[in-house]
Amino acid sequence: MKTILKMFALYLALFAFVSCSDDEDPSENFTVTAISPESATVGTEITITGTNFPTDASRIVLKVGGAMATIINVSSTQIVATVPQGAVSGAVSVSVNGTAKMTSNEFTVLSELVNAKVENIFAPQTGGRGQPVGGPFTKFSFEAGEVTDSDTKWDIAFRGLTIAVNGGTITGTIDEPERNGNGGATIVEGIFSEVTSSQDITFAQDADGVFAIPTGSNNGWYNYNFMTNLVTAIPGRILVFRTHDGKVAKVEILSYYQNAPANPDGSADPSRYYTFNYVYNPNEGETSLQ
Amino acid sequence: MNLNKVITLAFISVFGAVAFGQENSMKNDSIVAQDLDEVIVTATRTVRQLSSLPLPVTLISKKQIQRTGVTRLNEILNEQTGIVMTPDATIGGGEGVQIQGIASDYVLVLIDGVPVVGRSSGNLDLSRFAIGNIKQIEIVKGPSSSLFGSEALGGVINIITEKPTSENITGQLSHRAATFNNQNSSISLSQRRDKFGYSFFVDRLSTDGYDLAIGDDAQTVNPFFNYTFNGRLFFDASEKLKIFASGRYFSQEFYVKPNTSEERDANAHLRIDHNPSESTNWQYEFYYTSYITDEKILDLINNDVLMANDFNQQLFRPEVRYNHSFSENNTLTLGGGYNFETLDRSLFAEQVTFDSQYLFAQYDFKPLEKLNIIVGARFDNHSEYNSQLSPKLSARYNFNESFAVKASVGSGFKAPDFRQLYLDFTNAAGGGYSVFGKEVEAAGIQRLLENDEIANLVVDQNNLGQRLNAESSIGYNFGFSHKKGKLSSDINLFRNDFNNLIDIQILASRTNGQNVFGYINRESVYTQGVEFDLKYHVFENLDFSAGYQLLYAFDKDKEEALEAGTVFGRNPETLETIRLTRSDYFGLENRSRNTVNFKVFYEIPQWDANANLRVVYRSRFGLTDRNGNDLLDNLDNSFVDGYALVNLALGKNFYKKYQVQFGVNNLLDFKGQNPLAAQDAEVLVNPGIQFFTRLNIQF
Repeated sequence: MKTILKMFALYLALFAFVSCSDDEDPSENFTVTAISPESATVGTEITITGTNFPTDASRIVLKVGGAMATIINVSSTQIVATVPQGAVSGAVSVSVNGTAKMTSNEFTVLSELVNAKVENIFAPQTGGRGQPVGGPFTKFSFEAGEVTDSDTKWDIAFRGLTIAVNGGTITGTIDEPERNGNGGATIVEGIFSEVTSSQDITFAQDADGVFAIPTGSNNGWYNYNFMTNLVTAIPGRILVFRTHDGKVAKVEILSYYQNAPANPDGSADPSRYYTFNYVYNPNEGETSLQ
Repeated sequence: MNLNKVITLAFISVFGAVAFGQENSMKNDSIVAQDLDEVIVTATRTVRQLSSLPLPVTLISKKQIQRTGVTRLNEILNEQTGIVMTPDATIGGGEGVQIQGIASDYVLVLIDGVPVVGRSSGNLDLSRFAIGNIKQIEIVKGPSSSLFGSEALGGVINIITEKPTSENITGQLSHRAATFNNQNSSISLSQRRDKFGYSFFVDRLSTDGYDLAIGDDAQTVNPFFNYTFNGRLFFDASEKLKIFASGRYFSQEFYVKPNTSEERDANAHLRIDHNPSESTNWQYEFYYTSYITDEKILDLINNDVLMANDFNQQLFRPEVRYNHSFSENNTLTLGGGYNFETLDRSLFAEQVTFDSQYLFAQYDFKPLEKLNIIVGARFDNHSEYNSQLSPKLSARYNFNESFAVKASVGSGFKAPDFRQLYLDFTNAAGGGYSVFGKEVEAAGIQRLLENDEIANLVVDQNNLGQRLNAESSIGYNFGFSHKKGKLSSDINLFRNDFNNLIDIQILASRTNGQNVFGYINRESVYTQGVEFDLKYHVFENLDFSAGYQLLYAFDKDKEEALEAGTVFGRNPETLETIRLTRSDYFGLENRSRNTVNFKVFYEIPQWDANANLRVVYRSRFGLTDRNGNDLLDNLDNSFVDGYALVNLALGKNFYKKYQVQFGVNNLLDFKGQNPLAAQDAEVLVNPGIQFFTRLNIQF
């Protein structure tokens, strides 16, 4: 009988121990192994992988660069959250019941891509019609999002139908700005939204006698219809640029005429007014364009 | 080769040939003399009954021309099924004829079987041709290069002049006055005496022109006047030897003071028909033609010449044809000839010369009672481009008296023109771009390179100057013909596949930012559709006809690009790029999907009068690409809405000799809207209603 009791007590103890381990929080045992992606803009979904995460999101406190992040989804091995407003680059910490663990790699909070439209950039020129083309280029900075007078911080520049980049050398026409940056350009065929990255793109630079964006009807960004006397930005030609300081941007020129009329009149509407959409990625080394 | 020498040589050989021909004295000719009502010569170069041909053919009779009161070739063509006169006048250049959707560059125009020249930019201005002295106009649709060589891709239009028949001097004097001070006078005279016959025709047309773009200084069609002189001589030495000689001169001058715009067109045609036997016929033909334009634009202030565009084209062509009838419906035709062509043009570095030789053969036979087959081919050898072989096969099977099926397949080609071979042009006023013809592009690029004017070469220098191929087509026609009692109908399905169309390519870019252009064989397009013709002889004095053409005309490369998703357009509101699909592609420029014509001719014998009403409709068409994707899509704002032109003519005869006619063209006063007009400006498609009256004295 005693033996039975002892046995019973043992079972009870065992049971208690087992049930106790069920109640016990295993959080001290959780691990954080990685974060993906390691850099992203505010609002982007990030995934933290590890082990033994509590499956109840309310028990987890996730901080990205000091700011509390909202958890979207959690499993024992993954936490999915968005990069919170106010986050700065730094470690990501996961806390459960006061125990905080950091990711070994730092997370970089990226600046937002700039998605904007620029209207009526006036790009006059002198000469033409057989005479040498001249006059100063109208310079544009993606970082500033506007026309700039800076001799160094410009990325692209317009004069008539010609687009120069701040990279390479002077092509040889008169009144060209000095190239002192590492800009470049290329033309991609497609729809603006489909150009998502500059990853596989090789950039050309202005060189002696050649602009990176080729000049002439149908060669580069526009064609000219002599019947209607119209310069039309060729639909589907997306210009991808590397800025003077190595960042990337994509541009879709919408119109060459003042106030971008839907059906411009080649002989009446003032021309040399650029209107374009662009997406600029201000983050160094980043290739994403969406 | 010096052209004068050629001509001298040729005339010596003419008389040699005549002398030679006379030695072969045999019996009657049966091939030429046939007095069937409606016969045509263009389809086979032999006299053939219209209703028995295996090809789609349109015949416009003298009677129809007279009843409608029109006096120029373009006006009468526009009323025929499947023929559209495109209003290029609104965007520069002359009106162009379109057959089966094929542009006027690819339509050959003949007068009495010999070609007219003078296409300064591809189009041939058909209003140049007065039709006061003609017997009929024959139009063979589809390619006929197997007989006529270059340019006969879309069709052949042959203006057949009248032959004098009466022993007395007969003729007519007529004057037609119409809106825009359009005054057209003509006189024709002809007589036949035994072996001799002659015929003279003089026509003068003048007009104040008209303006489609109200509000600007310039007029769309400037005031002009022109003269046509035509003299013809017929000498039937015997039943076996007949000689025909014709001279034609046309001169036109626009009032564009202080500028100059003149054109002259002259031709001389000699044909000797020799029939050594009843079954054998030789034809020796000598033809010379020239087309000269003189255009100068002067500076209004100091009278300096801003632009001079002179054009002087000459063609000399001796040709020999041989017909042999083995039996009644069994004819062999052989022929050969030589073209000497020169062009002197301000935009060319120097005068250029073409030489070409050709041979053709055709066998027209009936292997079965109800089956007619025509098989033929022509070989053209040319000094400046690759030689060309053009075969053609056509067949007709008559199921019974009233029902027949026709089918034909043939090839056509168009030689690269002088411009595409020799143009050496730098447009200083237009921004400094250059265009080089194929034969001069290598030297041109070399010259620019030496002057340090080339930024970069797009085409490798080693690949410059490779010969162009002729533009070519294969045309298929398949149709049924039904005729019973008062009703006759024709239906024809057609397809024309064009290859090697010559397009512009960029050879290099210049240091001034402009391009250097050259020519390349590239584009391939097709046109296909159905033509339907119905004629109903309602009763003795009332004739009704209707015609319809359904047309699809597309560029195959563009279709492929659309399938591949590499053609883009713009959202008309946001101007952002969107991807176009096949259904967005409208097709080739200036083509209407549907064209319709209705005609009613009515005679009132008790009044000795006649009346007719003709309606021509064409559906919506587009003029040019406007959104930069190099094709005409539904987003392009360049469409002209469909429209109908209604023409009415009333005529009455007095004392047999006098005919008075009154008519209205464009009765509904259609004017239309040119979509390419500048904002706030109005440009019309048509100048509107035009009245005319005509007095004709027959003697």
